[in-house]
Amino acid sequence: MRPRSQTPEPTDEELNAYILTRYRLLGIDISVLPESDEDAPMDRERLLENGRSILRQDVEAANFHIDPQFNLPSAFPAPLAAWTEEDGS
Amino acid sequence: MSNSPSPQDERVSRRWFLERMAWVSSAAAAGALFARAPAVASPGGPAVTPEAFGTDIRLQEVGDLTRLTMSESMTLIRTGALDPRDLVEAYADRIEAFDGTYRAYADRPSRETLLAQLARTPDDERRAPLRGMCLAPKDNCYTADLLTEGGSLVFEGFQPDYDATCVSLMRAAGGLVVGKAQMGNLAGGRARVYGTTTPTTRNAWTPDDVRYSPSGSSSGTGTAVAARLAVAGLGTQTGGSVIGPSNAQGLTAVKPTFGRISLHGVIPLSYTRDHVGVMARDAMDAAILLQVCAQPDPNDPRTLGLPRPPNYALAATPFGGDRPRVRWTTRVGVWPGYLDGDNERVNDLRRDFLAELERTPGVRVVEDVTLPADWETLTSPPLGGSHGDPTAFFIEHLREDVRNFADRLPRFLNGMLQSADTYVKVQQARNLLRHRMVTRLFNQCDVVVTSAGGAFDGVGLPLACAPIGFDTDETTGARVPRGVTLGAPPFGEERLLAVIAAYQAVTEFHRERAPDPAGA
Repeated sequence: MRPRSQTPEPTDEELNAYILTRYRLLGIDISVLPESDEDAPMDRERLLENGRSILRQDVEAANFHIDPQFNLPSAFPAPLAAWTEEDGS
Repeated sequence: MSNSPSPQDERVSRRWFLERMAWVSSAAAAGALFARAPAVASPGGPAVTPEAFGTDIRLQEVGDLTRLTMSESMTLIRTGALDPRDLVEAYADRIEAFDGTYRAYADRPSRETLLAQLARTPDDERRAPLRGMCLAPKDNCYTADLLTEGGSLVFEGFQPDYDATCVSLMRAAGGLVVGKAQMGNLAGGRARVYGTTTPTTRNAWTPDDVRYSPSGSSSGTGTAVAARLAVAGLGTQTGGSVIGPSNAQGLTAVKPTFGRISLHGVIPLSYTRDHVGVMARDAMDAAILLQVCAQPDPNDPRTLGLPRPPNYALAATPFGGDRPRVRWTTRVGVWPGYLDGDNERVNDLRRDFLAELERTPGVRVVEDVTLPADWETLTSPPLGGSHGDPTAFFIEHLREDVRNFADRLPRFLNGMLQSADTYVKVQQARNLLRHRMVTRLFNQCDVVVTSAGGAFDGVGLPLACAPIGFDTDETTGARVPRGVTLGAPPFGEERLLAVIAAYQAVTEFHRERAPDPAGA
């Protein structure tokens, strides 16, 4: 396997730009939220912090290896197994 | 040991379950499961069996009718000793007197409406075994005659034009919806004033102190059943939302195997993790409500092709004399570290619970089961999460005004950030975890006492809980119940009910009722 390239990790500012662009693309307006207000149910600062965390978790998920020959998220006609009484009922 | 056939978790093919769940994951990823379906009538009929009716209940010793369990009420109505109108009036009286304090309900019908509905219910225990039973579905279950607001500004004022299948089944069996139970904002956290962090619903055991949480997100159902504003109810669970409030309020509950109860007409949170669960006062009542609701539903393909529901009431019937045996020989596994929690009193209650089980004929306690490999990785975010699930359904609501989601906004926006490859990996990881739990955890035991119920939600395995004693809350000084959570392999509901029923046959915690508000 080739060694992973040593690209610098994106900064918070870069991730914020990505997140805001993604929201804007889909028509989501978060400018109606307060910038930073811990007494408010939600503010932009907390929302972006959470979003950055989600994006960075993608790396963790990508790094976890699961044998691609098993545990496939692929279609399987499981109910047929019950109709053929594989379940023993 | 008994004349009962072996429990369903032994009869069902575990390989079949694993393969089926792989199909559900992939179908959800492809968006194939939830085409908008038309309103339909209830697809099944009531299925309450003779075991649901008890014996030897002395009405004169009961006093307040709302103290009765559902099984006791059904039995008294069957024998003619109780007029169901009196039962409904008793609940209506209590709701009118106390719900202003408990705030268990978001919307509810009038007393006159309930009595009119009762009058239209057949006086026939076979067709309407739940006649006069006052039930509290969570407010994310559609009701054609009451608002369904999901505890949120997003659904404020929403009036569905049909009942959720689970509600339809309860009503078809004669049950009455006495209110829509308050819930955490879009099925997260404790119930609060919509769009704020101000709590509403109180824990039934601390009616005069809002600080002690009823837990969530099925807060209102938990409070309604524990405070005797309903005899039983429905919650939903994506991550602990049935078990949490039930344990916090001294209830017995079952979160069944994925697909066992239809989700049609329930506001979705995750297409692959949502479950409807039953919340009640003891194992028999949980069994009765589960029996009524566990029906295949053409509007929810996740409920189709499953093994036929067994006789849950039989499973919840104590078996034997003074010292009942568990109905099927059962190995009860103990989760690693289960007795080493921070709260010594809770540790003591857990030890007492396990000691009681060990004295139960037919039970063998297996200490410190070994967890499958990669447990932490597979049960923690990102692989153990479900970030991508809620976004798609709510996109139009998100475009309308993100403020309506209040503190839950990140949960609903994050699906736009999770990549498709991570979502696929999450589905793979779930299948891997499910396979390992079925083959490497439940090869050591038949049920497991666990402090990690959330892992069971992601993989669709059943959970149940029951009260095991009382503790003093440090903040409020109040006496509050503590509970135990048990998990099982696919379709292990019978086994869970049997273990809890055997325990409840020799203990009294489930019979204690919460105190009324001060000044009552």
